Amino acid sequence: MLIKFWPAETKIPFMRYRYVGVTLSILMIIGSFFLLATRGLNLGVDFAGGSVIELTESETVTVSEVRSKIGNGLTVNSATDTDGTRRIVIRFGDLDESLLGPEFAALSPEEKVERASSASNTFVVNEIKSTFNLTDQDILRNDSVGPKVSGELFREGMIALGVATVMMLLYIAFRYSWSYAIGGVAALAHDAIGTMGLFALLQIEFDLTTVAALLTIIGYSINDSVVVFDRIREVRRKYKQMPSNEVIDIATNQTLSRTFLTAGTTLIAILAITIFGGPVLQGMSIAMIWGIFIGTYSSIFFASAIVMALGTDIRRPGVPDDTPGFQGAS
Amino acid sequence: MLQFPAWKVLLVLAVLAWGVVMSLPNAVNMSGAPDWVPKKAVNLGLDLRGGVYLEMEIRPQDVIGGRLEVFARDVRTALARTDTQDPVAHLAEVNGRTMTIKLTRADASGNFPVADAIARIEKVNGPVEGGLAGGKTFDVARAGPDTIAITVPANSENLMMADALAKTETIVRRRIDPDGVAEISITRSGSNRLILEAPGEPDPQRLKDLLSRDGRMTFNIVDDSASSIAAAQAGVVKPGFRLISGPTTGPLLIRSIPEIVGSDIASASQGNDEANRPQINFRLNSNGARKFFETTRSNTNKRFAIVLDDSIMSAPSINEPIPGGNVRITGDFTIEEAQDLAAIISAGEMPAKVQFLDQRVVSSTLGEDSIRSGYLAAVVGLALVGCFMILAYGAQGVFAVASLAMNIVLIFASLTLLNATLTLPGIAGIILTIGMAVDANVLVFERIREEQRNGRSIWTAVQAGYERALITILDSNITTLFAAGILYALGSGPVKGFAVTLALGIITSVFTAFIFTRMLTVFWMKIAKPKRFAI
Repeated sequence: MLIKFWPAETKIPFMRYRYVGVTLSILMIIGSFFLLATRGLNLGVDFAGGSVIELTESETVTVSEVRSKIGNGLTVNSATDTDGTRRIVIRFGDLDESLLGPEFAALSPEEKVERASSASNTFVVNEIKSTFNLTDQDILRNDSVGPKVSGELFREGMIALGVATVMMLLYIAFRYSWSYAIGGVAALAHDAIGTMGLFALLQIEFDLTTVAALLTIIGYSINDSVVVFDRIREVRRKYKQMPSNEVIDIATNQTLSRTFLTAGTTLIAILAITIFGGPVLQGMSIAMIWGIFIGTYSSIFFASAIVMALGTDIRRPGVPDDTPGFQGAS
Repeated sequence: MLQFPAWKVLLVLAVLAWGVVMSLPNAVNMSGAPDWVPKKAVNLGLDLRGGVYLEMEIRPQDVIGGRLEVFARDVRTALARTDTQDPVAHLAEVNGRTMTIKLTRADASGNFPVADAIARIEKVNGPVEGGLAGGKTFDVARAGPDTIAITVPANSENLMMADALAKTETIVRRRIDPDGVAEISITRSGSNRLILEAPGEPDPQRLKDLLSRDGRMTFNIVDDSASSIAAAQAGVVKPGFRLISGPTTGPLLIRSIPEIVGSDIASASQGNDEANRPQINFRLNSNGARKFFETTRSNTNKRFAIVLDDSIMSAPSINEPIPGGNVRITGDFTIEEAQDLAAIISAGEMPAKVQFLDQRVVSSTLGEDSIRSGYLAAVVGLALVGCFMILAYGAQGVFAVASLAMNIVLIFASLTLLNATLTLPGIAGIILTIGMAVDANVLVFERIREEQRNGRSIWTAVQAGYERALITILDSNITTLFAAGILYALGSGPVKGFAVTLALGIITSVFTAFIFTRMLTVFWMKIAKPKRFAI
């Protein structure tokens, strides 16, 4: 006997509650913007510049020892690995010029700006090695990002995001219609903004890896919306005179068990990353768990509500109503 | 949809067999296998195997400044040598991207011979190197009654940058890996950047030290006369000489114009002296050897200084003329220092100083930890998703799990085929694919359930299920594929690694979930002849 994770046939009138859903979504978007404006993102070294150094914690090398002996302007924290070993994570920006030696002091002002993070990194690494009698092999990680690269990485990420969004908008418009494209992309923006809001709320470090997570959420969100859209299109073709809200309700209910099963399996995979994937992937996986929830929610309430407002018709000039799609391929 | 002619079955099996053979070296040590078996495993990124990542750039102002300095010598010769007229007395100064030439001697009526000077400079101003459209390398223009400004036009600047970047790339490689054996990767990024990845290297500082040297090597004759040194130390350096020092020699007065320069050196290597201490051996090329013989013959009983980047490394005495062009530097070196210096000397001079922008170092222990946790997460994720699918769909779930396993095999095989690099975010991408790959199966199975509920027989339900789900699967996966493609094209570092596995995962999952699972289902239906799916 197989386990039924979801009843086979449901008749939930989703579109009756669409105003509740849209209101919740708008509140969340406003809240996210508010948090982003007030608390801001906790930018990691990738985007803020500066350094991160990681050491293995031992009896002589502890968080408090590093704090008291290396001190000046560093943030020292500990992290626990999956196998239980503890690591010390040291973060810092540009140190005071007086520490960086005569060679640095002799540079021109522009060169100082460019080299400060690299010089600060060298200074701290040397301090750590001499104070605790460590070698290069004891330093687990040592990243230092200059101001030029960090700005570029941020810009690059944003451009990639923008272009990817436009491509998806065009593809959905081509396969369905503009109202679906707008609904899908609005849901995607909804999910991206909501996730950024979560980063601001929990102050999860925002770095290139979290950007990858954000992009995955966007991918999942659009994937989920397209599955619902596909069914709306199918129901629409079958019942040409049916009002939009009924069409969407039927489609959403018919895809509901798939929605929950897929969300379930994806969540299981991500939970495995959260628990066993180690600290590097943890921030990323927390973001993705939230993304699965918000992506599923937005396909049903936000994307569909917008499609309903703009019209479920898929007629486009010059294209017959019953576009056969990909049926020829196999 | 449900017809599987023999060729189709064979094709699917061939793809799967290829996947297994290609991905096997990742799981098993294949060194004992016959020659035709592929033995290459997936490349691991620096975050998984440990090593140093450095991003560096050369700045246009440095490159152009350097080129103008070289041109200044040509200008000096051009203005000095003439058959019919006196030399044009002048002062040349390079300031950033401009060289200013100030004429210092007016004719009888108080005019400076600017036009004549420009004409002479234009004679040594060659066409843009590699430029097909022609045009001169430098712009020479009158900038005042006694001043000439020399600048670099934009097309010439671009060519200079491209040339400087190519030279820098070669020099970086030769300095870090003089023997050409290390597994380092140097890639160009933009018009003036290089990205260096050195797996297994624990010390970024050593690399930076190696690369931040200019590598300007010269041999200069030393003036040892007591009076000249005393005068120089009092602040009056003889014209044509310079006072510089070195760690072992102390300050010495050397001739400004070198006898031997970097381009005269054929190669340099680390060797050992009679007492078995490390030393640096060099060999001069034929031109250099001839010059060196001439120099040592005409300067016997003097000393010559071997100067690297304005620091004297050694200043041996010339006892007799030296033929053959073999020179050595002895000193207080460790083997590593001698090797690094030899690499710097034989690699040659950097066209411009290298600036470091970005550095990432991961130790190999942390890399191993990451591989272990990534592997664990993948195995646990796969096992749990598998249980979930079997609980939800029974026999169909088993087929889905089989195709999921094949999916991972195919991802690894295609990563190997494309010579792509697997990073930690890449592993996350694979694990995510495990979750999302079942989506295609779920879509099909749910559709079959629905068709059965609508009263169709098992064969028509399966047929309709696959047919209808195909459009949905393609639409949703193509949309995600767009996102992955853009990430690959525009993203960098971890984003790119993630995009590769995500994109490959989408493609292989459609293949395994839609074709392989379908094939298994059809065979199962033919053999077991079920009346209905237990759904």
